[in-house]
Amino acid sequence: MNIIEVKNVGYVYNNKKKVLRSINMSVEEGKMYAILGPSGCGKTTLLSLIGGLDSPSNGQILYDGQDIEKNGLSGHRKNHVAFIFQNYNLIDYLTPKENVALTSKLPTMPILERLGLTKEEANRNVLKLSGGQQQRVAIARALASEAKVLLADEPTGNLDEDTARDITEILKESAHRMNKCVVVVTHSEALAKEADVVFRLKRGELQISKNQERND
Amino acid sequence: MNLGIRAALYTMRKWKKTLLLFCLLLSVTTLVLSGLAIADAQEEQAEEVRQTTGASFTVQRDLSSGGWSSGSGGSYSTQEFMTGDMIQKIAAVDGISGYDASLITLPRIFKENGKELEHENYSFYNYGSYNSQYHKLFLSGRFELIEGSHITDDMADGIIISKELADQNSLKIGDTLTGIYYPENNTPAVDMKIVGIFDVVADKDDQLNMYTDSSYYDYSSFVFCSMEAAEGLIKGWGEDGDGISEAYYYVTDAAQLDSVIKEVRNIPSINWNNYTITANDEVYQNISSSLTDTETLITTLIIVITVVSMVLMILILSMSIRSRKREIGILLAVGIAKPAVLLQYMLETLLIAMVAFPLACLSSQQVAGTLGTLFGKTAENVIVTPQHFELVVIAGGILLVVAILLSCIPVFRFKPKAILAQME
Repeated sequence: MNIIEVKNVGYVYNNKKKVLRSINMSVEEGKMYAILGPSGCGKTTLLSLIGGLDSPSNGQILYDGQDIEKNGLSGHRKNHVAFIFQNYNLIDYLTPKENVALTSKLPTMPILERLGLTKEEANRNVLKLSGGQQQRVAIARALASEAKVLLADEPTGNLDEDTARDITEILKESAHRMNKCVVVVTHSEALAKEADVVFRLKRGELQISKNQERND
Repeated sequence: MNLGIRAALYTMRKWKKTLLLFCLLLSVTTLVLSGLAIADAQEEQAEEVRQTTGASFTVQRDLSSGGWSSGSGGSYSTQEFMTGDMIQKIAAVDGISGYDASLITLPRIFKENGKELEHENYSFYNYGSYNSQYHKLFLSGRFELIEGSHITDDMADGIIISKELADQNSLKIGDTLTGIYYPENNTPAVDMKIVGIFDVVADKDDQLNMYTDSSYYDYSSFVFCSMEAAEGLIKGWGEDGDGISEAYYYVTDAAQLDSVIKEVRNIPSINWNNYTITANDEVYQNISSSLTDTETLITTLIIVITVVSMVLMILILSMSIRSRKREIGILLAVGIAKPAVLLQYMLETLLIAMVAFPLACLSSQQVAGTLGTLFGKTAENVIVTPQHFELVVIAGGILLVVAILLSCIPVFRFKPKAILAQME
């Protein structure tokens, strides 16, 4: 069943530049989606609209059949979606454990350990972790929330090849084992190959270019 | 994680920013508390000056509006005299601390054994008085009561005499004297009891007006008796020229003189066509202008300090919030609402203020005294009171909240995507 539906969504930047034109797409739980496209084509904008960070100029986005705008974008961000950013976006005065605790009232250590952080690392200043570790913390923060949809914007963009592969695996597992709906914006063909469905965004229009079977 | 924990963690871990804001709040609060204490000390001083310099007004017969007649003593005004009832009505007006009026008679005074008192003049210069302590000779310091009490308006037959006269005639408090205005004309004899003895402090030579009747009398021959006794002395004396021509009223607070006079003029039973009122507040006016200047200076300083501090605070908080744009974007992205983020920032600042304000209360006790000396106050008079602290805590808290709100506006008007995009 579709968890998010994007219906005829358009987005005009600064009332001048049309970034998105009548986008239609839907995503469901248990799958990983990739949105591919060249720089500036509107991938991040589309992800932001799905995540309620911004409002579309026209059209609507539904979560479980409900218009997210009407139900409140702040509530949508809090309860339905979780973001993973290219530059991690962790709060610098909080430890990894505390960053994860931003979205969850449950103990945070189990999920951090599952993503490969030690107790010592989990209590360290978040800026003293490596890029890969910081991205794991960001993913842990997303997974710790009760959100069914993970929205990842270039999650491997700042990482080396090995770490990028690890992060991709974690995202795939989140979709296939934890039954999350993972939407990844990327320009990496390697990452896109791992997705169940790939959308290609060109000149503000979306095409489904690949649909593969679950590989778990 | 709730906003309280986030606020506490930020305050502890970003200790350099916390320290900067703490120092700023401590300095500003200390200065404002000191300013308030100095302003209060100034106000107290002004109040004291108003009460010590005092002010008075004189109600006189208006000779210009009355007619004139002539008698054995020459021409005299037929304008009506002041009555006891009228004098009491004016004295009852709020703000009047004391009053006196003079009914001057020139009696001869005899001891209990009928022997006339020995003194420098033929007769005595006698002021019939309601409250001799408010007589200008006592107020100016020329005479000083050294024994007994002054004449008051509840006395019927009191008299106060000079020490020289008492010594010369072996008189003491409680002795009875008999006064007769004109023994030759059989005017009534009035018995009076000595209630006080005064000393003459000033020399007669420095008497200001040498052209009044009093100038022919030696100060030792001046006496003051109850108004009722003075009225008894002139009974049977047919001249129309005797009566109370003027009365003096002293106002508790010199600043209220005008309003008291206005109220006096509104007494309906007095025909104000026949009387004039003259305000006597030159001393207060001279002092009050310099007091007002100092008060204005202190108030201006407090306002300047507060405004400059507010501007400085808004600038620092704005810079701090600009540097936290990414954090705001992240918090909004994880679903924390804008009001919660705003509350977190307010709480952080108020946490710092909770420490800075009480410390400022302590430090201002010292600073206020030192600063007070610059304005001519003694350190003991400049006191920071709990009321000052309460005012600063309430007003300071409100100003801080406003400063944070103003600082947040430039960031919060954007959507989370725009905030995060700006950081990228």
